[in-house]
Amino acid sequence: MQKKLVTLAVSAAFALAASGARAGNAGPNDFRLGMYFVHFATEASDISGPFTPSGLGIHVDNIETLYFAYVRTLSTHFQVELAFGYPPLTKTEGRGPAMLGSVPYSGQRISTVRWFSPSMLLEYEFGDANSRLRPYVGVGVNYTRFFARQSTAAGNAASGGPTSISLPASVGPVATAGLSYEINDRVHVYASYSIAQVNSKLTADTAGILRTSEVHFWPNALVISAGYSF
Amino acid sequence: MLRKIGVLWAVLAALGLAGCGHDTPTATVASSNARGTLVANPAFRVASVNATALTAQLNAQPVGQQLLQLAGTPACGVDVYYLKYWTVAPDNSAQLASAALMVPTGSAAPCTGPRPIVLYAHGTASTSSYNIADITNTSNEANSESLIIATVFAAQGDIVVAPNYLGYDISTLGYHPYLDASANAADMMDALTAARTALLSTFTPTTSDSSQLYVTGYSEGGYVAMATVKAMQAAGETVTASAPSSGPYALEAFGDAIFFGQVNLGSTEFAPLVRTSYQHAYGNLHTQSSNVFSATYASGIDTLLPNVVPIGTLFQQGKLPQTALFDSTVPTSPLGASADALLAVPTSPPYTASQVALFSLGFGNPYLIQNGYRVDYADDALLNPDQAEMTILNGGLAALNSSDVALATSWTTGLRTDLALNDMRAGGWFPKEPMLLCGGDQDPTVFYQNTLIMDAWWSPYVQGGLVSNLDLNATPSGPFAPLQAGFQQTYAGLVSSQGAAAIASYHTTEAPFCMVAARGFFAQVP
Repeated sequence: MQKKLVTLAVSAAFALAASGARAGNAGPNDFRLGMYFVHFATEASDISGPFTPSGLGIHVDNIETLYFAYVRTLSTHFQVELAFGYPPLTKTEGRGPAMLGSVPYSGQRISTVRWFSPSMLLEYEFGDANSRLRPYVGVGVNYTRFFARQSTAAGNAASGGPTSISLPASVGPVATAGLSYEINDRVHVYASYSIAQVNSKLTADTAGILRTSEVHFWPNALVISAGYSF
Repeated sequence: MLRKIGVLWAVLAALGLAGCGHDTPTATVASSNARGTLVANPAFRVASVNATALTAQLNAQPVGQQLLQLAGTPACGVDVYYLKYWTVAPDNSAQLASAALMVPTGSAAPCTGPRPIVLYAHGTASTSSYNIADITNTSNEANSESLIIATVFAAQGDIVVAPNYLGYDISTLGYHPYLDASANAADMMDALTAARTALLSTFTPTTSDSSQLYVTGYSEGGYVAMATVKAMQAAGETVTASAPSSGPYALEAFGDAIFFGQVNLGSTEFAPLVRTSYQHAYGNLHTQSSNVFSATYASGIDTLLPNVVPIGTLFQQGKLPQTALFDSTVPTSPLGASADALLAVPTSPPYTASQVALFSLGFGNPYLIQNGYRVDYADDALLNPDQAEMTILNGGLAALNSSDVALATSWTTGLRTDLALNDMRAGGWFPKEPMLLCGGDQDPTVFYQNTLIMDAWWSPYVQGGLVSNLDLNATPSGPFAPLQAGFQQTYAGLVSSQGAAAIASYHTTEAPFCMVAARGFFAQVP
């Protein structure tokens, strides 16, 4: 179902893009490369399950990763952006009691996971096509798939043994606001701020003992990038 | 355009692959359900506490302080693992069960390297959620027993294996094979096999099995421990030493005593457990529970225990009487006056005032056991006497010997047949390695006569020093004198604060003293 939604969104975006045009000599296509500076305003329910004391939480560390995007200009004011990040290694720390018995917990890096998290946005650019500085806003859909889910040695110690982690993929809304600045007809620089709703249910399996936490990652990202139009 | 998009996806896919890694696996799950198979390997560690933290935790509570005083300051930390393993039910079906594995930790000499295993059997539990591995959960019925064995054994350097038994925790059997010697022993042995497998993959793999095996248990667990020694000997497996404590070993004689009116505390809990267990195992008890239990309690009693709610709640809900095992309007027997005298509410003499006070609690209305069922049993016991019980009734408790403690040779009731089958005197066996029998001679729950009967039955081995007993209530003497004095002082304190009601705590108060005695006994076995 999630795959179908993404496929549908991509198809719709490229259908719209077919009629696009860009001012000046540049074409309607724009490739962008930059950096994501992602802050996670994580909200997670306490980890629950058998043999689990109350008050165990998690915290997701901020990350930076490579940003790249393809943007198709549809009209003077509308464009569609398909944005990706290089799958970042996200690190999770324990929050709660300092020790579980004699095993350190709070502040310990208990797991890592990589994200494949493309977003499709429909954006509105303010100003006219010849403006060098153009603010824009956009909304769209984010799809996030988690992979390379690893419980660290500290995580295994806190969990009670080798632990596998399940985090189902998430589909949620994403919004952005930014500025573009034209260096020349083909080269622009961009700064934007985006926030996405990424929800998942973490399930940790330690020797058949299942523990869960509902996690709302709320990644919000500052993106600095440069784009080439053709 | 399409080509460009294709290139884009190829780049993205490559980036995605570049970032790929493997998900970490969890434990390997066994595909076999053969007896003793560890289900998930490595096993799940429930808790890990070092010696300093354990000492601090115990010191934080008055009960813990008493335990520290009794068991000594922990030399080791303790890792507690939760095992799931396959065992077998009385009907030979494969059954999933669970156990605790406690591993000493730390770098001190007694905490690492090859260590002895203590195979521990727990006492009667009424809640189906009983889990002796759930050591951090104070609301679990097993919690105090779990903490005691961790402190007494594991924190002093012994590896502990303690099954929860079929009928508890994850078991789906639907009942507990209570006082079923072969089923209990099979469960213990299978837990031990699984634990030995788990021991190879703990967080402290340098702690290993020294091949010294000690078997102990308390109350029901005392019985289970003795049954396990018997079964392991029969299977040719070595038990280095054992210390069954306060167990109902001489089941036939104990049953006779109860049906003759010497009603023990806890009997209204034990009776449904026994009846359900033996009906499942042998099918020779009445199929209708109303033939055994009074109409007040018969409905639903076959599945009442273990229960999701504590025994106290069952009493409050009127599902069981708290103490009234028998009708206070006692029945009469077709056998006449001699039988009627045994069915009467005990009086003084021949019983002491304190015995009369205790036994009288077992009579009331509403009551648990049907009068007709009681009469049938008592008549069987009178016509086919258990020699030990008859000797005791005739005032011979203090001088039992091997010639006057034999089992009956025939039976007319299913229950007595089953009790005799599971009586530890059955089977013509004796312990081949040192055994300590610990208990207290005023125990109102599991009468000390059980210990004395086994002592008498095995008197040649007692005289040879292979079997010894420890009466915590005797005048302190010998290597266990401090424990005897400690128990008597502790119980005197309870009497001082609670008066006559302290008798209800006698059986549980003995437990840690017997466990420490067992530890001391094991330590001196070569």
